[in-house]
Amino acid sequence: MIRIRFDFPLANGLHARPASLLQQACRRFAVTVVFRNERNHHRADVVSALELVASSTLVHDPCSLEISGRQEKEAARALDAFLRRKLPHVDDDIPMPDAPQEGTPWLPPVFHEKGVHSFQGRTLAPGTGSARAEILHRARSLPKRFAAGEKDGKKELQLFEKACLEVETELKTTAAGARERNAAAILNAHLAMVADPGYRARIAGLIVKKKMPAGAAIEKVTALFARTMQRSSSVYLRERADDLKDIAARLGEKLYGRSSLPPPPRGPSSRIHKGQRPCGPLVHKGPRPSGPRVIVAAGLSPSELLALDRRRLRGLVLGDVSATSHSAILARSFAVPAVSLPAHELALINAGEELIVDGRRGLVIQKPGPGLKRYFRLEADLQRRLARRRAALKMRPAQTRDQRRIEIAANIGNAAELEPAWQNGAEAIGLFRSEVLFLERDAPPGEDEQYAVYSRAIRSAKGRAVIIRTLDVGGDKPLPYLALPAEDNPNLGYRAVRFYGEHSGLIRCQLRAILRAAVHGRLKVMVPMVTSLEEVRLVRNLLAEAATELRARQVPHTSNLEVGIMVETPAAALSLESLAKEADFFSVGSNDLLQYFLAVDRNHPKLEGLYDPLHPAFLRLLEGLAAGARSANRWLGICGEMAGNPEFLPLLVGAGFDGLSMAPQRIPAIKERLGELDGGECRNLLKRAGRCADNGEARRLLAEFNDRGNSAPIIRSSGADPIGLPHLGASALIAAEWVSLGSPSRTAGEAIRELCGLLELGGRVSAASALEEAVWKRETTFATDLGFGFALPHGKAVTVKACSIAFLRPRRPIRWSGKNSAPVRAVLLIAVPEHGGKTHLRLIAGLSRRLMDEGFRESLFAAAEAPTVLALINSAVAVG
Amino acid sequence: MKIVAVTACPTGIAHTYMAAEQLEKTARRLGHWIKVETQGAMGIENELSQEEINGADLAVFAADIAVQRQERFAGLKVIEVGVQEAIKHPEAVFGRLSG
Repeated sequence: MIRIRFDFPLANGLHARPASLLQQACRRFAVTVVFRNERNHHRADVVSALELVASSTLVHDPCSLEISGRQEKEAARALDAFLRRKLPHVDDDIPMPDAPQEGTPWLPPVFHEKGVHSFQGRTLAPGTGSARAEILHRARSLPKRFAAGEKDGKKELQLFEKACLEVETELKTTAAGARERNAAAILNAHLAMVADPGYRARIAGLIVKKKMPAGAAIEKVTALFARTMQRSSSVYLRERADDLKDIAARLGEKLYGRSSLPPPPRGPSSRIHKGQRPCGPLVHKGPRPSGPRVIVAAGLSPSELLALDRRRLRGLVLGDVSATSHSAILARSFAVPAVSLPAHELALINAGEELIVDGRRGLVIQKPGPGLKRYFRLEADLQRRLARRRAALKMRPAQTRDQRRIEIAANIGNAAELEPAWQNGAEAIGLFRSEVLFLERDAPPGEDEQYAVYSRAIRSAKGRAVIIRTLDVGGDKPLPYLALPAEDNPNLGYRAVRFYGEHSGLIRCQLRAILRAAVHGRLKVMVPMVTSLEEVRLVRNLLAEAATELRARQVPHTSNLEVGIMVETPAAALSLESLAKEADFFSVGSNDLLQYFLAVDRNHPKLEGLYDPLHPAFLRLLEGLAAGARSANRWLGICGEMAGNPEFLPLLVGAGFDGLSMAPQRIPAIKERLGELDGGECRNLLKRAGRCADNGEARRLLAEFNDRGNSAPIIRSSGADPIGLPHLGASALIAAEWVSLGSPSRTAGEAIRELCGLLELGGRVSAASALEEAVWKRETTFATDLGFGFALPHGKAVTVKACSIAFLRPRRPIRWSGKNSAPVRAVLLIAVPEHGGKTHLRLIAGLSRRLMDEGFRESLFAAAEAPTVLALINSAVAVG
Repeated sequence: MKIVAVTACPTGIAHTYMAAEQLEKTARRLGHWIKVETQGAMGIENELSQEEINGADLAVFAADIAVQRQERFAGLKVIEVGVQEAIKHPEAVFGRLSG
């Protein structure tokens, strides 16, 4: 028996996904593996994912795997690699909600109008939607009678097995047809639960040995597992109990049929939520709206959510459900606004009444009046325009504020990740980890198989570059067909380019596939773990041999392929100028480079604090190697995790990287942040950070830089380009797009919302609601309608990126501060950042003074077009 | 008449300067000498010197928040109005001087 001890690395605890991956990792060997949690003394056979999940394992729990059997040595090596390399990252792409809101969020005055009734709940999925309510209820429980009709354990067991099979088939079909990656993943997790040997064996045991009806057995075993999960202090794990109940409900439906299930309880729906949630299926209560609807239910399982008609679904109001539940994840994936309310409030909603679901604020509004409906229409329109802007922004070329192009690329491991990469606006594939093709199989992929994958990637790139990293495995990522010896220190051992000489056949095969695929586009190769020029020459020789072989076979291929070096050892980092003799480009693998440079294992639970890219020496290393690449006149990229973190972006821009490659979902945020940065400022920042005494000082310096408002100079012209997006480089005080003439806004609330929205659309405010709140705070101390037909709302907020003015002239004059207030014919909103420079404030002061001039006001009332308004305001600013 | 004035509002972004402008324009039209100190988001600007204050006939505070460094005006007659009033009805503010 071999024992491997480890600290459990995942923040969400041991849930279905890591459990099933651990199973997969064990299944390849003839061994028995027992999982032990040393903190709570839970023990689970790895064969049962549910037993694993029920072990209530939390992050940093001391755990161990006990491996025994014929192949225990091989299995131990593979599992050790799995625990260190794969497990810590399996949750990386779980979509998480924004930080939970603290306290009650601020609401604009229109929400406090008479007759408006709203419930404050928690956000599950953003967005707003309105429709009539449809209420769904859950049946009390599964029948306790024998499905077979008689007390025959064997027959009952057969029916149970048949029901399991039917549910499995259903799940497989739905999962195969699911277009959403999250939906498929969740359905597969459910599939694993139905197929779970631990779950099935316990139910079968009760049916056969205790002569229990299947329904009762399912309910009992489900409750047993669910209780353990619900006791867990990980919210994420507690939510998984609902998934199990979903499975139980489906099994019950298969066993007994939907019609024979007990009816939903009478009376207020709150009653059924106390204590254990029942596991029966959903039934309707009260009238069903015929058109669009908001679904109201205490709980909704993922499969129930998937079964809803999404074309007519405008929102979800759920009971006590957390933002990490599978249902909430799906709601976010499908962009359905969703809010969770406490059970007693849920019970106050009646079937058929009109609701607005405000996912952003976590609000449910009952029977909204006309004012509020208008406000939400405005908001929905704004959200649509914002989504269009974000989509357009994703696709535009990435550049800094001073218009320096930096290629933003994606890291991928297999062909399935190509589409998400392009959809997120990737401008290239900066790292294709080819080793994924080679892992977890008994023989290496052949030339044709590899050719198919590489050419699919290059074809989908449509002219964009794809960089394939040649085989990067070693003692820690063992391949059964590549007898690499086990090592004490695999990270410093016989890995990557170091074994290419001995296994040249395998590498030549890969290079042949790459040379062939390169015919279809801009394909490049990158060599991992290089420390010397000799190693690059070896790869060049192998390439030449591969080309000769293809020539002999008369197969079409490229003869001049760009060969780059992955810079991940300090030795390489300090020799770019000499390596440039054999390398066409460089890409920094910052994860390994940092690990080797600081001598810190990045997965070591006790060394987390030491693995820090902000070590000033590491920053100097980056600065130096970038200078080396420049003087050698070579393209320099970076493809480690550092590249996808907006916090570090100014440092990388400062170093002068030509390309950054990252997980696809990080691309939009990085592109947006890049547009706010100035190359010169970033260079100075990196210089100063590199001179800091320690990480802490560098971190403070960087935080200060990142928090600072945009101090861009003012360019007195429209700040927008032809597609209606702000110039990422320009920073005008006002743009034509922020001027609304003949606006439909009828109240101060609508006008303020519209103007804040225009600034958000213009990219001047990251969250319009914070500005709206600041403006209203000012407005309630003293209304800003000062006579002369003018209102001048203004506010200061951290979400304002640069001092900005938005202008609105309503179609009909607005009674700004009450029925008796003088009509307002023009509204000028001023947004000021929390930490802005004085330059802009001085301009605003000048403009304010100018508004006291009647002639100026009259020309603003009369201006027929936005450019005229722009010119007038700019002239006032120039005089001021 | 020789007048010194201070304007100040809660955010100090716009109204402070609008009030200052109105007071300056109106005072000049009425034939008074005036200097207006603004206490806004940019801090104290166009600061009144002690000599100017000492030589003034009276002071006007057009403010919705407490005026800073009030001790400078000890002994001087001060007329206090809201910022709104100074913006909307500056004549009325000066009307109080004679009244």
